[in-house]
Amino acid sequence: MSKVVEISPTTRHEGHSKLVLKVDDAGIIERGDWLSITPVRGVEKLAINKTMDQVPKIASRVCGICPIAHTLAGIESMEGSIRCEIPRDAKLLRIVLQCANKLHSHALHNILTLPDMYIPGTDKKINPFSAEEPVRSHAKRIVRLREIGQTIGEIAGGEAIHPSNPRVGGLYKACTPRAVQKMYDLAKEGLPLAIEQMEFMIAVLRNFQRRDWADVGGKQIPIPKDLGYHNQGYMAAHPMYGSSNLDENPGWNPERWTDVRPWDWYMGEVEVSLADPSYPIGGTSPVGTKANPQMEACTGVPLYDGSPVEVGPRARMVQFKNYDEKGTIGQQIARAMELPDCLYTIINALDEYNPSGKVLADYIPQGDGSLGWAANEAPRGCDVHLAKVKDGRVLWYNMLVPTTWNFPTCSRALTGAPWQLAEVIVRGYDPCVSCATHMIVVDDDKKIVAQKLIR
Amino acid sequence: MGTELGKYKLCVSARSTDKDILKKAQDGGIVTQLFKFALEEGIIDGAIVAGQGDEPWRPRPFIATTVEELMTTPGTRYNISPQVSWIKEATRSYGLDKVGIVGTPCQMQAVRKGQLYPVGLRDVDDKIALAIGIFCMENFPYQSIKQLVEDHAGMKLESVKKMDIGKGKFWVYGARGQVVQLPLKVTHKYEQPGCHVCLDYVSNLADVSTGSVGSPDGWSTVFVRTRKGDDIWSKAIGAGCFETKPIEQVKPGLEMVSKLANEKITKNQKTVEERAKFGVNKALRNPYIKP
Repeated sequence: MSKVVEISPTTRHEGHSKLVLKVDDAGIIERGDWLSITPVRGVEKLAINKTMDQVPKIASRVCGICPIAHTLAGIESMEGSIRCEIPRDAKLLRIVLQCANKLHSHALHNILTLPDMYIPGTDKKINPFSAEEPVRSHAKRIVRLREIGQTIGEIAGGEAIHPSNPRVGGLYKACTPRAVQKMYDLAKEGLPLAIEQMEFMIAVLRNFQRRDWADVGGKQIPIPKDLGYHNQGYMAAHPMYGSSNLDENPGWNPERWTDVRPWDWYMGEVEVSLADPSYPIGGTSPVGTKANPQMEACTGVPLYDGSPVEVGPRARMVQFKNYDEKGTIGQQIARAMELPDCLYTIINALDEYNPSGKVLADYIPQGDGSLGWAANEAPRGCDVHLAKVKDGRVLWYNMLVPTTWNFPTCSRALTGAPWQLAEVIVRGYDPCVSCATHMIVVDDDKKIVAQKLIR
Repeated sequence: MGTELGKYKLCVSARSTDKDILKKAQDGGIVTQLFKFALEEGIIDGAIVAGQGDEPWRPRPFIATTVEELMTTPGTRYNISPQVSWIKEATRSYGLDKVGIVGTPCQMQAVRKGQLYPVGLRDVDDKIALAIGIFCMENFPYQSIKQLVEDHAGMKLESVKKMDIGKGKFWVYGARGQVVQLPLKVTHKYEQPGCHVCLDYVSNLADVSTGSVGSPDGWSTVFVRTRKGDDIWSKAIGAGCFETKPIEQVKPGLEMVSKLANEKITKNQKTVEERAKFGVNKALRNPYIKP
């Protein structure tokens, strides 16, 4: 008979989420539900009737890790709605900004995920002040990569967190030749570090794959060869930057997207019947705890072509680069492989950038209320913002954030793994739960059906 | 009072040894010369100075990254140039790592406060390499300067060659040689009201502060206040950038600076105290004391 385990809260990722797992007698997951328990912020409601310049700045505040992706997606959805083309140099700086954000975010994820996989029996905390080598050098390299990403973002975007420079119609300020040179130098410095980091990550991940068991809370847990495998599809709009409805060949299609309510998707009320106090960080929930994923989940379940999809580095690689490795390890390797790509893209964009070119469109239309969308390839995957702007005011706004797409997909990927490794699978998605927590659910006719929650 | 001149390591009367700078400068060309030296030596890689704005005699913060750019900016314009508003941009789209900034005492206070509590100034605090303060009794809004020059002095702003405050008068020098002096009694009502709570005359918080008061014409009084300021100043002296005289040997000397500083503090202290009783149970806080 299956038992229920609850890991709440899950750790070493952004936001608050929990795992409710039905497991068999051997502790293998039969059905897993991973859900957000971060309260809904209601950005979509706040946005209504604000000016199109304000809304992307508000939207950026959903998360401090990828505010750049949200700002850019927000701004580009506004531009998509008002049909505003931006100058080429503004686009190039946005690309630089995007890659800088991705670089620092991926490096941060390595800090969070490495303790699961790093050499057993050594100091697994990725800490630049660790007494042990080589972990100290690895930590220092990761920290430096993050610093490089943040500094480039700061120069191109005005701020590394919540960038002030991008605006509807382009950017407020162009970068001077000196600033471009500084970014270029930083990217050149980062490139060998990123390549080293990629190789290091791949070595650690392959080593983990070859091990028979992992140590979780002092217990030896067998590692299945198909850890984190799922049969869902992938969704990516662009290999690096993003796409919007203004593109000639848009990378995303709003017609293919639907939402379902969490109570139609997640399991109903269950009672925890298996507990393990030795599980890291305080143990799992005690036996007898009631869990109700249907009611507790704070996200909608977005579907693409009627089914959950995976977004993120692997989705980008699968869609555009014929990548075919499945599972948690494949996902993490895809992420590591994006590190040098970010820097190559920055270098190429800066090569093309002209500091004396204009960065603001000459004419910014005020919008007629038509739908605009932008699918930005954020570090964690395809971040879609949709907007309708009329006379400079936002009539309707929606955010489909990467981890929102990943929640149901990852829940499927949990099946077949020992429950002690469920968090390893979750961390493979580099979840960013806060920004994923939105509640606009639309049915097939694009009618909002979860009104009672967003009120 | 004894504290009116703030803390300083060194006080001298100085002027630049560069003829070009002296020709354009307000007095001894200290700010321009020191920034020029710092730029050439790589101590700073850009300076926020008061450049020419869109209207005549209206300053606008300007980021000079070369000596040529710097040389377009000497002189005093007697109205507000919001220097601190550019300090973040200098480290962002201008890509500067070592920023020089010149400003009035209140602007130096803002810079230091920004360094102490970098709210909204992320990664800016460690990039301020040289802060030069100027002496300031009060400042004028642009409209006031326009009124003073065009109505009181009877000159179009475009035809003004130089403005100066000295010897108890506001001087306006015209391009055709006319000189108008207005008693400071006339200019008082045009001052910026915000200046009347300021208790700092000599930029106590700058690395180096300078002004004409206390030194003969064409010379400036210089206070070197911080270790950083002292380091840069001694290097500049070593490089022969400045001619100096001991402040004790020049007329009118430090007594004059003290006198004016005390005058400003005594006068403004009254406003500060008055404002403490302002409003109903909502007195304005004295920014110089802890609440």
